[in-house]
Amino acid sequence: MKKIRYVALEGTSGGYIALLGALGALSLCGFWAAWTMFQNGHHVTGMTNSVPWGFPIVVAIYLVGLSAGSLVISALSSVFGKDDFKPFSRIAALLAALLLIGALMSIILDWGRPERIMVPFFHMNPRSMFSLNGMLYSAYVAICFVYLWAMFKENEKLVKRLGLLAVFWAVLVHSGTGAIFGFVGARELYHSPLLPPSFIAAALSSGTALMILVLYLTFKWAGKTLDENLLKQLGGHLTIFLVVVAYLILVENLTRSYWPANYAAQDFLLFSGNKYSLIFWVGMVGCGIVFPMMILFGSSARPLARTLFASALVVAGVLAERYIIVIPGQVLPVDIFPGMKVVSDFQDGVIAEYSVSSAEAIYGLGIVSFVFFLYAVALKFFELMPETEPSKREDA
Amino acid sequence: MSEMDRRGFVKAGLAVLAGTALGNGITLFQARAEDGQDKAKTRWGLVIDANKCGEKCSECVNACRTENNVPLFGDPRYDGHWIRKATITPENVEGGKSTSLPLLCNHCEHPPCKHVCPTAATFVRHDGIVLIDKHRCIGCRYCMVACPYKARTFVFKNSEAWPNPDVPKRSKGVVEKCTFCAHRLDKGQTPACVEACTKSGEGAMIFGNLNDPQSEIHRYIKENAPHGLREDFGLKPKVLYKGV
Repeated sequence: MKKIRYVALEGTSGGYIALLGALGALSLCGFWAAWTMFQNGHHVTGMTNSVPWGFPIVVAIYLVGLSAGSLVISALSSVFGKDDFKPFSRIAALLAALLLIGALMSIILDWGRPERIMVPFFHMNPRSMFSLNGMLYSAYVAICFVYLWAMFKENEKLVKRLGLLAVFWAVLVHSGTGAIFGFVGARELYHSPLLPPSFIAAALSSGTALMILVLYLTFKWAGKTLDENLLKQLGGHLTIFLVVVAYLILVENLTRSYWPANYAAQDFLLFSGNKYSLIFWVGMVGCGIVFPMMILFGSSARPLARTLFASALVVAGVLAERYIIVIPGQVLPVDIFPGMKVVSDFQDGVIAEYSVSSAEAIYGLGIVSFVFFLYAVALKFFELMPETEPSKREDA
Repeated sequence: MSEMDRRGFVKAGLAVLAGTALGNGITLFQARAEDGQDKAKTRWGLVIDANKCGEKCSECVNACRTENNVPLFGDPRYDGHWIRKATITPENVEGGKSTSLPLLCNHCEHPPCKHVCPTAATFVRHDGIVLIDKHRCIGCRYCMVACPYKARTFVFKNSEAWPNPDVPKRSKGVVEKCTFCAHRLDKGQTPACVEACTKSGEGAMIFGNLNDPQSEIHRYIKENAPHGLREDFGLKPKVLYKGV
């Protein structure tokens, strides 16, 4: 196989500077939102004592998931022997690490006391999924960077080994993230052994979809040629992941709906016509699974455009899926007295209100922007992009 | 040394070791162990007789607010609640009898809040009380998600009021809940809610040492068989209810 030379982006064009400026400005807005939450307390968010986890947790697990797809694409060449994908391996490994850094930021800045960042390192609780994930995530970021370093050194043997380790570690990271919710017995919409595997599946679908978009845009804006067949192949992977996601979601919801004790909860989630059932059907099922599958399977005309459009839908749909994992399970009250109607001053027995506050929305947008800001900066300073024949130069 | 004794000794030793290793975080309360509660000399518990609890009475709630400076912000989404009054009515009986009762931290023998706490800020004291080390809590709120009794509240805002200096001043960004008035127990008093309930003449609360066969609570449990809420979860709550 032809040896690939990697180069850094020149990064002097007006378009590149403008992109950095926009992402940087959005990142600053996000940090300002985090500072506001820290200064004033969490009452500036939509969170309450009934719904203590809000949009920052949604963003965090979303970013964790997106990271998986990047890593798998990076490993396609080094671990799974698909050399065609080697040009993407560096970019993808970098993005896997950056997305996870974004996830960690979204979790930590959402703490009531983010200045106690060192406490979890000194006081661990091996039974806590948060404590375990803290270790898994940190190690994962480190593994991704060492893996990337090995690629820079062009040490193929080491790259292969580290790639394998990274894939194995990603399985742990994503299982652990699903377990944060799945292991909670107190909430009927959380408690499910299927959450870890379905978290992995949705991670692969959303991550692959994101990489398709990122690769397309990066190469286009950098004025480099990209083998469109590779993107279409990734689109093929995406359809497989979507089928698995659909199957797991179906099994989980059928299981829950079958048992009468869960009728009320399932009715609330699926058929009540509230915003959660809307996000479930239109966002998660429609955007996340059905429409992209129809687009990918529907016809063979304009395959690249179809792949890109389907990917964009999946990236949006999985955000809806993450929202459905985190929020409705808390909005439904805990059932302290089964079969009884409960009234109290503390919203017992009441379906709680939650909506994403502007501070939280800016927070989420800011962290995602920061991830891509770092990505764009890294492209300029490190040899991450494959050298290709220059195509029509647009922005670079 | 019998087998049980040896096991108890090893556990106590491990608890001491853990306490030493985690030492500098402990400022409010000392010693921690989830297991061995049943063998401890003291294991605090509370029985609530809902038949005696007055629907209009909220003396326990008021006493708790005064004792522990639990803040009201005038917004039900953020108000602190260490103990709250609830009224329950059967769902499928038209005009069914309603029951009034207080809800508070159940100080479970297997507390899910403790299990999920990433920094082990939530711990079980030697006498079975589940406590939070607020100097170690990072405010991640996982415990609030994991508690099936909604016993925990987050400090959404700073509150300047600090009428009772015997309890630590609260600051925003951490999770808090009922302590069974550990600071009062350590002085030989009963929890503020129990004292208020007795004073008000309702007498719906019996507090005491579950491990002392001579105690009133022990006798009451033997004769009346109160039960914990959602015992199907297996958490073994130490707040038991009669007439629910």
